[in-house]
Amino acid sequence: MTNISNLSLLTMILFVMIPVSLSYLYSLGIGKSAIWSSLRGVIQLFLIGYILTFLFSIPDWQGIGLWVAVMLVIASLQASRRGKGIPYAFLLSLSSLILIEVFVLSLWIVFDIIPFRSEQVIPMSGMIIGNSMVAAGLAFERMKNEFQSNQGKVLAALSLGANASQASQMIIRKTIRAAMIPNVDRLKTIGLVQLPGMMTGLILGGASPIQAIRYQIVISISVFSTVSICAMIISLVTYRFFFNKNMQLQTIEGGND
Amino acid sequence: MKTIIEARNVKNERVDDVHFELMEGTLTTIIGPSGSGKSSLLMLLNRLEDPDEGEIYIKSKKIDQYPISELRRDIGMVFQQAHLFDGTVEDNLKFGPRLKKQWSKKMGSELLEKVQLPVDILTKDVSHLSGGEQQRVAFARTLANDPEVLLLDEVTSALDMRTVEWMEKLLHRLVDEEGKTILMITHDLKQAERLGSYTLFMNEGRLEEQGETSELFRHPNSNALKKFIEA
Repeated sequence: MTNISNLSLLTMILFVMIPVSLSYLYSLGIGKSAIWSSLRGVIQLFLIGYILTFLFSIPDWQGIGLWVAVMLVIASLQASRRGKGIPYAFLLSLSSLILIEVFVLSLWIVFDIIPFRSEQVIPMSGMIIGNSMVAAGLAFERMKNEFQSNQGKVLAALSLGANASQASQMIIRKTIRAAMIPNVDRLKTIGLVQLPGMMTGLILGGASPIQAIRYQIVISISVFSTVSICAMIISLVTYRFFFNKNMQLQTIEGGND
Repeated sequence: MKTIIEARNVKNERVDDVHFELMEGTLTTIIGPSGSGKSSLLMLLNRLEDPDEGEIYIKSKKIDQYPISELRRDIGMVFQQAHLFDGTVEDNLKFGPRLKKQWSKKMGSELLEKVQLPVDILTKDVSHLSGGEQQRVAFARTLANDPEVLLLDEVTSALDMRTVEWMEKLLHRLVDEEGKTILMITHDLKQAERLGSYTLFMNEGRLEEQGETSELFRHPNSNALKKFIEA
């Protein structure tokens, strides 16, 4: 693999200058934030690079344990921000993500799909946790919006004798469907519109396209399943918080981020 | 006549110290300005809300002594908007009965006949129905549970005159022939006179006046009711 020199990296600043100049030209007011975001992104990535180098140098179980735990906490914090007002949103996100990570990792290891090595488990777990985090956040947000916009239908269902679970079915279905549709679409066009990130990385790293595709299949299917499971867990647990013990609809305070 | 529902000094955020009795097999109307607590009162009787103070009795038994789902089936409610569920007319009609595994195709056609809709509408998606048809389906959906009491929240406000006339006849039939008890909110005083023998007038959350409809309209006691009638 070709090494990108520091000088070559610096020339990338030219690319950042294009949107910055456009921002000034059209008074978009995002010049400063574009520079800051780029700078922050570069620092973050370098930092992660050094952290990963350290993690890969310590025993696998320590490296994996440490970094997966960090990823889980950060992802849960991020997902629960979208569930503002929903009780135990952080704990719920954390437990769903732990469950998903343990499930997927066990599957990979038991079926000898990848070895239990930091270099393999950490990046692949990152993809699973990252995608599930987005799904969890969207599920929280969607549940709040759906309960708000379908209040009349939920009340009608309750008035007809439905319990909280029966009255929430339409909302749960919509939430899970909304979480699955982008992934179904992504799977349909995978490789046709753009090469997926992991596959691109492996090919750039010198792996054969066929080898890269095998990894991509593993990660794409794992992401598809875990995102669906995550949205399902969040919806199936969260709907209860929209009702009190007398099966009466209650409003959840707290706007969306 | 027996009392079927009794509210004693019921109070919550929107309802203030409401006290009334509803007789079995009667059609009672509720009138009053917007925001006077009429809809909240119906929600309390269907237990979609609970009072902060006071008590509600259904057939002399406290409302919270009934299993909630059973109670809501027996005291059916139809809302001002149809709030139909996504899917076909049949999906909507069978929602209540299926919760008790009591649905049959025959029930669908009987219910549609009752609300004067053609049977072939059963497989139609509800999004393709007109406003009037949607309201009739919502009504039939509540009737599917065969409730003893019907709580109706301005169900005719969005209907054309012909449909209103038909609906009023249906309400009379439900009371006279099937012995149902109806408590109905209406903004139309003439409709209240045509329909009910008894009327409750609500204002600012309070049940300001109640009595025989024609008597109440002829000799209102409170200034609020006088103003409301004149408006």
